Amino acid sequence: MSNINPSCKLVGLIVLSFALAFCHHPVLNLGIFAVCVLLILFSDANKKAFFIPMIPVVILAVGLFFTGYRFTNAASDVVNMEVLHVGSSQIWNGLIFASRALVYAGIGLMFALTTDRIRMVRSFHKQLHVPQVFAYGLLAAWGLLPQMMLEYKRTRMAFRARGIRVLPFSPSLLVTLIVKSTRWSEELSIAMESKGFAAQSQRTMFEPEHVKAGDWIFLAVTCVILPVIAVLFFR
Amino acid sequence: MSIEISNIQFGYYEDGKNTIDGANAVFAREKVTVLTGKSGCGKSTLLYLAAGIYPSNAGFLRGGSVRVEGEDPAAMTPPVRCRKVGMMFQNPDLQFCMDTVRNELIFTAENIAVDPAEIPARLEAALAFAEIEYLENRRLNTLSGGEKQKVMLACLYLLDPAWMLLDEAFANVDDASAKQILGKLLQLHEDKGTGLLVVDHRLEHWWDIADEICLMEDGKIAKTICPREEGAKASLQAAGVQVGRDPYPGIVSLRTGILEEGTACMPDTDVPALTLSHLSVSHEKGHPVLTDINATFYQGGIYAIVGQSGCGKSSLFGALSGLYKYEGGALLGGAGSTGSGQVEIRRMKRADFGRLGFVTQSPQDQFLGGTVRQEVMAAFKKEPDAEARSEQILRHIGLWKYRDVSPYLLSQGQQRRLGVAALMAYPCEVLVCDEPTYAQDRENTIAIMESLCRGAAQRGATMLFSTHDRQLAEDYADKIYTLEGGTLHE
Repeated sequence: MSNINPSCKLVGLIVLSFALAFCHHPVLNLGIFAVCVLLILFSDANKKAFFIPMIPVVILAVGLFFTGYRFTNAASDVVNMEVLHVGSSQIWNGLIFASRALVYAGIGLMFALTTDRIRMVRSFHKQLHVPQVFAYGLLAAWGLLPQMMLEYKRTRMAFRARGIRVLPFSPSLLVTLIVKSTRWSEELSIAMESKGFAAQSQRTMFEPEHVKAGDWIFLAVTCVILPVIAVLFFR
Repeated sequence: MSIEISNIQFGYYEDGKNTIDGANAVFAREKVTVLTGKSGCGKSTLLYLAAGIYPSNAGFLRGGSVRVEGEDPAAMTPPVRCRKVGMMFQNPDLQFCMDTVRNELIFTAENIAVDPAEIPARLEAALAFAEIEYLENRRLNTLSGGEKQKVMLACLYLLDPAWMLLDEAFANVDDASAKQILGKLLQLHEDKGTGLLVVDHRLEHWWDIADEICLMEDGKIAKTICPREEGAKASLQAAGVQVGRDPYPGIVSLRTGILEEGTACMPDTDVPALTLSHLSVSHEKGHPVLTDINATFYQGGIYAIVGQSGCGKSSLFGALSGLYKYEGGALLGGAGSTGSGQVEIRRMKRADFGRLGFVTQSPQDQFLGGTVRQEVMAAFKKEPDAEARSEQILRHIGLWKYRDVSPYLLSQGQQRRLGVAALMAYPCEVLVCDEPTYAQDRENTIAIMESLCRGAAQRGATMLFSTHDRQLAEDYADKIYTLEGGTLHE
């Protein structure tokens, strides 16, 4: 999965997500979710980064299942043992809700975990014609994130050392962080410029991202075959 | 073959005064030139003008002109400009935009439109020149300050500019790495004729190498000195510039002075204030930065911690200030100490927070925002005499006229003074200072060390500080520890 061109992967998965929005079939959703999980597990992606975000998703899916299960009947019905009686249409309805949460999380995580961000930016620039200043600006900002996390902790400690208790995300913490981020981004843009980077200039591209036969097959599967199957057999 | 600066008038604010006011100079490519002077004299600003970074990124050029090899650097596009002037900045953390060393070098080569077929060879040559082949696939955010500057050197080698401009590039680099980078720069200067224009307030690295030292005062080049001239050292020292490892006034005379005033407490070597036992810190699982730290710091003592960059000084200070998790013990207070009993640092409750004060590398990390006055008052704003007390403190450190200004708008030296004063308003028992004199000139260094040591001595507090400046450690510490191989040695 990590060999697929990132732009093709993005377009294919967005089209597939749209197609799924019009289908209400848990078998289809769960099937695609299972494929996503298998692709993640058999890729070189960090497995922990998959399982941890899945915890809240599974909780959400269980919650949605019971919502769908309970509200198959008219919303004004009173909850009693009779309503909780197991009926196959209720389970089906619950599964539709729950499987949607799972399939969208699966698709999103598969993209995030199997895509190298440097390749992604190069591909967005070449295939989707995203301006290079946005593409590389995005990468530089990404590089700042660990420093911002550390800075956030450092500012909290500074408050603590003065005996002042602050809540997470309190405005006084965030103001300090915003001031610093602005300064950092200024310094970073100067450093990028001094290495010859400019918004308009012509750059060469080492190892450019190409659209290969495998990428076309991926696009055909996600944009044509799967949506057609979904519409024909799972509406 | 020169950088010419004629009658430059430059200010950061539209209606403010000029930071550079009528500076004139010609820097020849065959000479190594160092610009020096006190903090705030405009030396970095002049360098940024020569690099074409200003005025397009900040400030207003009100008059005069800059010419690099006969052309205006501000009028060139970045890919053209970077072949004329390459910059190495003070803060190694904010120079890169890719994730690994290899990708950063590829990014640099792509910027100047190197033929993709040539990139692997150019990349290899750059890594070999900077002697960092072993770092090729490392992530940039895991490198130490010295390693980052070596990566920057490799980038500059790849760009191959006519001039290299260095803005206090060794401020965060240990001596061994600084010497290595310096040797490489000289090699480029001699072999390829690359011009070197350097801003540094400490001349120890440059004294034997520089052909010219330009002393800046009040936005002008006051005089140009050749280090080989007789009396050169003395005239620079008279201007407050640190030439070599000049001794500092030191703690002995300071303590005697305070003792005479009758307000000091002498160190008490029987009462431990901070005890570290088998302390270890790891940022990545299985790769501890610190393995086994054992030391006892006694009440009232001043301790320096020195070591190569990347040895884990900041990790140790980060662990003590609560930034990183640690294993083992770090016990604050001891039998007979003045504080309210012993407490493990990671288990400190709210009432204990003020007992351990810390000064960070960048004073900005300590600011809580608001105004200069609020910064000082944060400690005692509920007390009835808060207004009067804050006025007294601010007048003492010369910042009273800035009381309603945001602390971020102060100069580096002023920010540092404010940071120390704000901290001194707390009755802390142990003061942990991570490179408190980072990127400060000699005058500020002395002022900062004196105010820290004075504050510590007056309340009998223990002080730990880390530094790259061996002389500073020798002159201000009662005991020097070296951090090496994850452990602390006396």
